[in-house]
Amino acid sequence: MKFDVVIVGAGPAGLAAAYKLASAGFKVVVLERGREPGAKELYGGRIYAYWLDKYLPEFRKDAPVDRWVRRERVSFLTEDKALTIETAVVEKEKTSFVVPLVSFVSWMAKLAQNAGAKIITETPVDVLVKDEKGRVTGVQSGPDVLQADYVVDAEGVNRLLLERAGIVKKLEPEQVAVGVKEVLKFENKKTLEERLGLDEDEGLAWAIAGYPTEYLPGGGFIYTYKDALALGVVVYMRNWEKLKTPVYDLVEKLRLHPYMAPLVKGASLQEYGGHMTPVAGINMAPPRFYYDGLLIAGDAAGFLLHTGVLIRGVDFAVASGVLAAEAIKEARSPSAEDLAVYKKKLRSSFILPQLEKFRKADRLLSDESLFRDLALLSTEAAYSYFNIDENHRTLFEAVREASKKTGISLVNLIINMIKMVRNL
Amino acid sequence: MSLKYFTIEERLNANAWDVDVHRPHIKIVDPERCRKCEKKPCALMCPARCYVRQGDYVVLSTEACVECGTCRVVCPHGNINWNYPRSGMGIWYRFT
Repeated sequence: MKFDVVIVGAGPAGLAAAYKLASAGFKVVVLERGREPGAKELYGGRIYAYWLDKYLPEFRKDAPVDRWVRRERVSFLTEDKALTIETAVVEKEKTSFVVPLVSFVSWMAKLAQNAGAKIITETPVDVLVKDEKGRVTGVQSGPDVLQADYVVDAEGVNRLLLERAGIVKKLEPEQVAVGVKEVLKFENKKTLEERLGLDEDEGLAWAIAGYPTEYLPGGGFIYTYKDALALGVVVYMRNWEKLKTPVYDLVEKLRLHPYMAPLVKGASLQEYGGHMTPVAGINMAPPRFYYDGLLIAGDAAGFLLHTGVLIRGVDFAVASGVLAAEAIKEARSPSAEDLAVYKKKLRSSFILPQLEKFRKADRLLSDESLFRDLALLSTEAAYSYFNIDENHRTLFEAVREASKKTGISLVNLIINMIKMVRNL
Repeated sequence: MSLKYFTIEERLNANAWDVDVHRPHIKIVDPERCRKCEKKPCALMCPARCYVRQGDYVVLSTEACVECGTCRVVCPHGNINWNYPRSGMGIWYRFT
């Protein structure tokens, strides 16, 4: 059987491409290794809406949304102290939302199918098939070869196909982080709302630095589903040697931390998972995003922006899928020369400019002292300021006392802070 | 606050699976290389505790693998042969 386009992976990138191409009359098939779209996918929990409005405005009509995020929390957490900053908007803004990724991609899958795309599940692709000139002409799954004029590789972060095709090298620990996540379900959604002080459809996104990763680069997170919490920890892989607790227990340590335990009390574990996530952004991009017969989109291309607290994957994935579809629509042939229009589109969109802008983020965030110093010093200084004993300290005295107590130099910290505010 | 700690086995049991018992999708290439590997990052970094130290060796069981690929990336000796499970088998996320 021959298709116009074969897409590898029914994630946000692959399905966006499938939807747009099928809508334009292309004969499209999406190959997905899971039982259903989303079955193998895992993310933190939040999707940003701004670029979806431009690239997939249909989502406003009927995409599933558990909660719109109107509160952002950032915490520095140590064994015995916490400092939390919260922002909230009273207006019913709809700028980012929390939803299980599997729900969102199954909505996208229906959209693509209704437009005429075919989705074949339970079909892991083994290799990209090339002709004698090196042009990608299809994919192989087990003994079966599927031919197509164009292949869109949206296989995700664990980009084995690109590696086997000789396009990228094996992933380096410096390029990725590993995330573990628990979905904790409450019997009553009111319990969740009351514990976190949330209105009925209001959502919370919470990033937690320090303790969750044993002060190593990465952090903990909480997102609020309708009646459940996503609780997780992300650890930069390059720092594994310093880690004392196995990754699978970090998330439990966070759940049981005295600052967190009262929030999750009584919630039952609905699901547990782990996944890799890109952290190097543009620095882990393949040499090119287009080859003869092939376009690369989503995580496989490094299209995920990670700046510590803000992590954006789904909007980048969807937009890159849409742009891949546009490139195929405009290309006169599957030659790399004609498909180069994809690169132009990525350049004139937000994708490459924003990834370039935060090019230094991953190196900065990999700095081991940054997380330790910030978490220890800020929590200690806050404690010192609010703790009245014989001395009532000024803010400066509290910071200086904390610096003395933790042995963290203020000068270094200020230098780090300047780097942070400039680059993150 | 005394909450119960969930062991990794208990947590993995909350998930839906379709295990391919006949063909493990991950293999250790050469167990001797694991024996000589001092730090064994696989045992520390695998989110599903598929790799367990036993003496100087590492025992791998793939039944509860969540297919993240971390082991292959952290293995300093390129000693892991890693494939996706066959046709839809393995982990089946429904709520994440």
